[in-house]
Amino acid sequence: MRNPLGWLLLTLFSLLFFAFIYAPLAVIIGYSFNANPINMMIWDGFTLDWYRGLFGFADRTADPNSRALYVESTDQLIAALKNSLIVAAVTTSVSTVLGTATAIALARYRFRLRGFYRGFLLLPMMMPDIVLGIGLLIFFVTLGMKLSLLTIIIGHCTFLTSYVFIIVQARIAGIDPALEEASADLGASEWVTLRKVLLPQLAPGIVGGALLAFVISMDDLVITYFIAGTDSTTLPVFIFGMIRRGVKPEINAIATLLILASVLIAALGLWLRSRKIDK
Amino acid sequence: MTGLLEIRGARRSFATPEGGRIAALDGVDLDVGANEFVTLLGPSGCGKTTLLRSISGFEALDAGVIRLDGRDIGALPPFRRPVNTVFQSYALFGHMSVARNVGYALEVGGVARAERERAVAEALDKVGLAGFGARRPSQLSGGQRQRVALARAIIGRPRILLLDEPLSALDRNLRQQMQLELKTLQHNLGIAFVFVTHDQEEALTMSDRIVVMRAGRIEQQGSPRDIFRHPRTRFVAEFIGETNLFDVTVDRIEGEVAIGRTAEGLELRLPGAGLTVGRRATAVLRPADFRLAEAGLPVTITRSVYLGQDLNLFAAPAPGGPEIRVTARDAADAPEVGARVHLAYDAAAVHLLEGA
Ligand SMILES: Nc1ncnc2c1ncn2[C@@H]1O[C@H](COP(=O)(O)OP(=O)(O)O)[C@@H](O)[C@H]1O
Ligand SMILES: [Mg+2]
Repeated sequence: MRNPLGWLLLTLFSLLFFAFIYAPLAVIIGYSFNANPINMMIWDGFTLDWYRGLFGFADRTADPNSRALYVESTDQLIAALKNSLIVAAVTTSVSTVLGTATAIALARYRFRLRGFYRGFLLLPMMMPDIVLGIGLLIFFVTLGMKLSLLTIIIGHCTFLTSYVFIIVQARIAGIDPALEEASADLGASEWVTLRKVLLPQLAPGIVGGALLAFVISMDDLVITYFIAGTDSTTLPVFIFGMIRRGVKPEINAIATLLILASVLIAALGLWLRSRKIDK
Repeated sequence: MTGLLEIRGARRSFATPEGGRIAALDGVDLDVGANEFVTLLGPSGCGKTTLLRSISGFEALDAGVIRLDGRDIGALPPFRRPVNTVFQSYALFGHMSVARNVGYALEVGGVARAERERAVAEALDKVGLAGFGARRPSQLSGGQRQRVALARAIIGRPRILLLDEPLSALDRNLRQQMQLELKTLQHNLGIAFVFVTHDQEEALTMSDRIVVMRAGRIEQQGSPRDIFRHPRTRFVAEFIGETNLFDVTVDRIEGEVAIGRTAEGLELRLPGAGLTVGRRATAVLRPADFRLAEAGLPVTITRSVYLGQDLNLFAAPAPGGPEIRVTARDAADAPEVGARVHLAYDAAAVHLLEGA
């Protein structure tokens, strides 16, 4: 029999839990439509000005007083977003290939120091971001590399490969090795077996790892902050720079758009997965 | 016999976690003829799977040769060997349709689509799964998956089909049905089957030849009847079906019949040929070799197990002594527990183990 009091407490707890998680997001979304340009905390009516400002449509001459509060340059914001997308796309591709290949090699081939490599691959994930950031910076400076998108990409690949590796490895552990043997038994070479059996079986893990890598790369601030050059600012670094000069209403609008993008990516991931299962 | 597969002196050992080595194959010689249904039978861990995997190429031998059609195939990788396997776990590709699973060997072999589809339909038909091609393996029952695995393995017309305990996951009825179907399929295809099982009943039902293995060696091989009626060792006698073993010393010879005595003083009539007084021997009597009769060995029924048509009776010649297993028809006059009856048997039917 169900205990009514226990049930009530459980429901209450669940509601509080979700409120706790989602309240900050709700606040940001709400304030992104708040017309008060000076104090975000006081509701001053609904506006789309901050969004217009972001996209460069705001009439900045209308109210000279609030001018300084707007994003200095929409072009800078767009450039940062573009940088972030380039970095995320390239690092996702590179680390997905590297992470997957490593996971397959470690799971399917026997060679010396296998355990050592496994541990070594997990280390970048455990390492505090700040240490990784400083380390990468010193490394690039020592090599005499100019900080640029390339250094960000290299930096992101070092730890995102570990993330992809972990996820693909978990998937590979659940795959019956007899599948690959069956493929070989039926006349497929190792390469054909990889293409027709192992990779399709790993696909959910690979897609999951790639999505995670993309999101983390888009989101990374601490490491990127160290290794981004002046002309290679990413979106998080740009936003951080804005906040240092005061929290402005546009930031709420940017955050809201990022939330929207994340939800879309997550939905895409779920949809891809459900399609796989249906088929 | 035309040798299709010829294995000589096969050895393979593995490192044990304790740091030692275990010989999974300890000098195995095996021949398989074209069209032959050979069953590897033995308890778990005796090396059946290792032997099968050496043929398919997934295990390399430490020593010995494997020849197929007279050609040494020991160095060929699995995908170049003209043998196919039905895996115990079926190992169907979950991301492919049933039809694509079945046609996989042809797909990777570069066979044109139209020809492939025709062959897939034929193979599915052979295993009774016509019309199931569009499904996913996950949408099939265990028995159906088994048939898909079978169709997939035979479509490339291998020289030998290897089956590693393929029926062990099926329930009893389905298993018996599949045993008959496999035998029929093997006959119709004209492909040699090497079938692994630890189930002696399965081995007796299906095989042309049974190879009994024990601890990495072949203990005995022969036709099912031969193995069942004339086991050469105690191990084979006990492994193949229920049996009664009597260690006797020949007491006297009475014409055609020798009389042997057990340590408990039980007297048994044995086929006399070749026996001399004082010889020790082990007599094998199957439970069905005994009949309940008016005269014969006096015993008391100690236990009775109902099996449907038959009864498994346990009969003790002396109170508290060793029991004899007897199979009797279940009838109105079947003896109750505690009944005193006589067991009759044909002395000529008693089998003696060699070198006992
Ligand atoms: N890959 C392996 N590594 C270590 N030991 C193994 C391996 N394969 C088989 N063995 C050992 O070899 C022996 C024979 O195994 P196997 O051929 O699987 O027996 P069966 O199929 O008759 O049950 C067993 O003792 C088993 O533990
Ligand atoms: Mg086995």
